[in-house]
Amino acid sequence: MSAKIQRLAEVDRVIHEPSRLMVVALLAAVKEADFQYLHQATGLTKGNLSVHLSKLEEAGYIAIEKSFRGKYPLTICRLTERGREVLAGYRKIIKGAL
Amino acid sequence: MANSPFISHATDPDAIATRLMTRAHNRDGLPEIAVGGTFLLVSGLSYAQVALPRGSIGFKAAVTAFSVLVPLLILGSPWILKRVRRRYLMARVGYVEAKPMARKQMALGILLALAMAAVALLAVTRWSHPDGWLLAGTGLFGGALAVWCGRAPRFVAGGALMAAAGVSLAIAGVALEAGFAILFGCMGLASLVSGSIVFLRLMR
Repeated sequence: MSAKIQRLAEVDRVIHEPSRLMVVALLAAVKEADFQYLHQATGLTKGNLSVHLSKLEEAGYIAIEKSFRGKYPLTICRLTERGREVLAGYRKIIKGAL
Repeated sequence: MANSPFISHATDPDAIATRLMTRAHNRDGLPEIAVGGTFLLVSGLSYAQVALPRGSIGFKAAVTAFSVLVPLLILGSPWILKRVRRRYLMARVGYVEAKPMARKQMALGILLALAMAAVALLAVTRWSHPDGWLLAGTGLFGGALAVWCGRAPRFVAGGALMAAAGVSLAIAGVALEAGFAILFGCMGLASLVSGSIVFLRLMR
């Protein structure tokens, strides 16, 4: 049991932050989503969401693709394979410990 | 331990994702408007089959419309919702592409639908007075489905209303066709009003 508790120290800090966990959990449930959708679904401010997306992209957990649909700028985000693996590992540690 | 009941919903990514997805899916009220419209159509066509003389052109038209339009609307509404959202609401509510449904989940849904159909068929053919049971069952099942799908207070209220309406109609001994017309009419109206309020609030 104590080994499982001690594994909490190994949780990925990038994903562990609540706002980023929300974004990753949401992206794990869909194929892809745009910035506006994530903004609506998470309730984060645009600036805050933008910072968290950049951190997740830097870590290689999400892929961001910028394009246009007509005049509407589209920032599409999707979870990478690495992101899925890290989320699965995070879940395992948290569920094992709590 | 892997499925510990002590794990908080706040930290379980599955629970977070499901909650966020459901909230986001119902954020513009369009699913409720579509369900409301479908229910009102079902109600109107059920009532037409009660009110019009059997064998008349109107009766035949109502039966044909019921068997063609209703399944078409049910099957086509997700596609219509997707098109409307992408065409008119993308700038406001954003874009999302759902994952294709897992085979296991799809198989479970088909099995559940088949089981429901078998129970309904059994009720109609074997029991002497199945009308009340069918009305109460539809109300209770529909109410539970609304709560499970919506997971929001307004869906809980709608589900409770549907269950209460189904049971009340069964107790009152209303005939099946008329009962379905009243049940779906009430639910359609409630769903349409609720969805419209959500949609108008979003547009403001």
